[in-house]
Amino acid sequence: MSALRWLSLPLLTLAVPAGFTFWAFPEGLSPVRTVAIVIGWIGCGLLLVNLLLMLREPRLAGWLGGLERMYLWHHRTGVAAYVLLLAHPLLLATDGLADSPTVAWQTLAPLDESWPVWSGWLALVLLMLGLAVTFLRRMPYRAWRWLHAALGAAVLLGLYHLILLGIDEPVLPILAIAALILGWRAVRGDWGLAAQPYVVASARRVAEGTVEIALRPLADPLAVAPGQFILVAFFAGPNFRGCGEFHPFTVSSIGRDHMLHIGVRALGDCTRRIQSIQPGVAARVMGAFGNFLAERTSAPQLWVAGGIGVTPFLGVLRAGGISAPTTLLYLNRSETDAAFLPELRAIAAATPLLSLLAVATGSALPDLEHLLPEAQHLAGCECYLCGPPGLVAALKRVLRQRGITARHIHFENFEFR
Amino acid sequence: MRKLYISATAVFWAMVFVFWAGSVWSPRAEQPTVGSADRAISAAELARHALPETCWMAIRGGVYDLGAYLPDHPSRPQVIEPWCGKDATEAYNTKTKGRAHSKSADEMLINYRIGTFVPDGH
Repeated sequence: MSALRWLSLPLLTLAVPAGFTFWAFPEGLSPVRTVAIVIGWIGCGLLLVNLLLMLREPRLAGWLGGLERMYLWHHRTGVAAYVLLLAHPLLLATDGLADSPTVAWQTLAPLDESWPVWSGWLALVLLMLGLAVTFLRRMPYRAWRWLHAALGAAVLLGLYHLILLGIDEPVLPILAIAALILGWRAVRGDWGLAAQPYVVASARRVAEGTVEIALRPLADPLAVAPGQFILVAFFAGPNFRGCGEFHPFTVSSIGRDHMLHIGVRALGDCTRRIQSIQPGVAARVMGAFGNFLAERTSAPQLWVAGGIGVTPFLGVLRAGGISAPTTLLYLNRSETDAAFLPELRAIAAATPLLSLLAVATGSALPDLEHLLPEAQHLAGCECYLCGPPGLVAALKRVLRQRGITARHIHFENFEFR
Repeated sequence: MRKLYISATAVFWAMVFVFWAGSVWSPRAEQPTVGSADRAISAAELARHALPETCWMAIRGGVYDLGAYLPDHPSRPQVIEPWCGKDATEAYNTKTKGRAHSKSADEMLINYRIGTFVPDGH
């Protein structure tokens, strides 16, 4: 990733809150009240960045280093804003201590106040509940998504709180931008205005709980490179009813007539339903996103795939193979779970530069200390990791212990919560 | 990040509790006595303090020297400054959608009292 792309998100995260603070810096107040207000503005700026980072626009994702990176910073800015916005009323109350503990409490106490303070409290409590839901990993995705969207309402309510306080000059444009971003995401991202129409041409089972689906474009095809991922929503077909939600799937190959193939593993309610998909089902597709395998060099490579995380590697191999010595370590629960394994074995047999090591690991996290090559075999290697977040985190840890620096470790998690 | 969320939320509610307990258990602050030291301030004298730096306002029959407080007021200056040198009772009572200022504001206001408003006085 270029330095400019790498710096884009940290710079954006610094610039927006700094701009807000500069614009609305209070003068002539006590130090504690000044800090309280500045912290509120920094939190407000971080929330605006946070909203921007949930947009699913390929061009924006390209500028900011990828959709997955945007989502990582979406999480970071959200939690940082939350912590600062919790400190904001506490510091205002601390300033009241200069008068008396009673004044300090009355600054906070919602029952003694009116809408300007009630709206602030309501926004903070909504933010609190919305974030609590965000951290509930076991909740079904559909319910999770709707509850997570309530955080958008918390942001708007927080800005309304400022307007009720009479601070409408800088806040009205910010409120308009926040509403525009939320509307943009809802219309283009969730309702699919940014998506292209496709139809399911075929579906074949490639392992237990995994199907490979071919999607034929019905309008202008998307520009997709092997190894990239797309967001796909499946709708109704003759005997199938999709859940209509956009989920990320890696493209396993691009066929003639721009036919896209994706691997879908049953990991949740929606993807379980997709296992019984049939030709003729309508789909909408957004993308493409990601540059996981796009910037490979001629250095020896170690590819590690966990489960369906093998798809981007398969996409590259199907598209024409490799030009550097490559080891593909393919980790699966069992051989019946291992999607595309016979095809990968056939590709490895026909490709001298590729060595394939498929390992059935069971349900527990595999013993990576033994599975990964020793440090001397990793020297000068570029490592590409794709799999569940827990596995990728464990792989990164072991590779770092073996002397591989961060810039030689490239990874993609396929989880968007 | 989950740990940060949980610990920040816990600290926040603990601090809210501490502020509440502090107000319940602390001795009430001595409030400035109003009465004998109060002097009558006419509308004409009040009107001579219409600039933000020397801002006086009449609120609910009292006159308050708010010059030092104005920078602390949460709303933007254009909202509050036009009331300097005037009877601002109506504005004070109808801050937002007809609601008056809070008890906390009432309590702070007492600290700035300098006299009694006598609209017809000379």
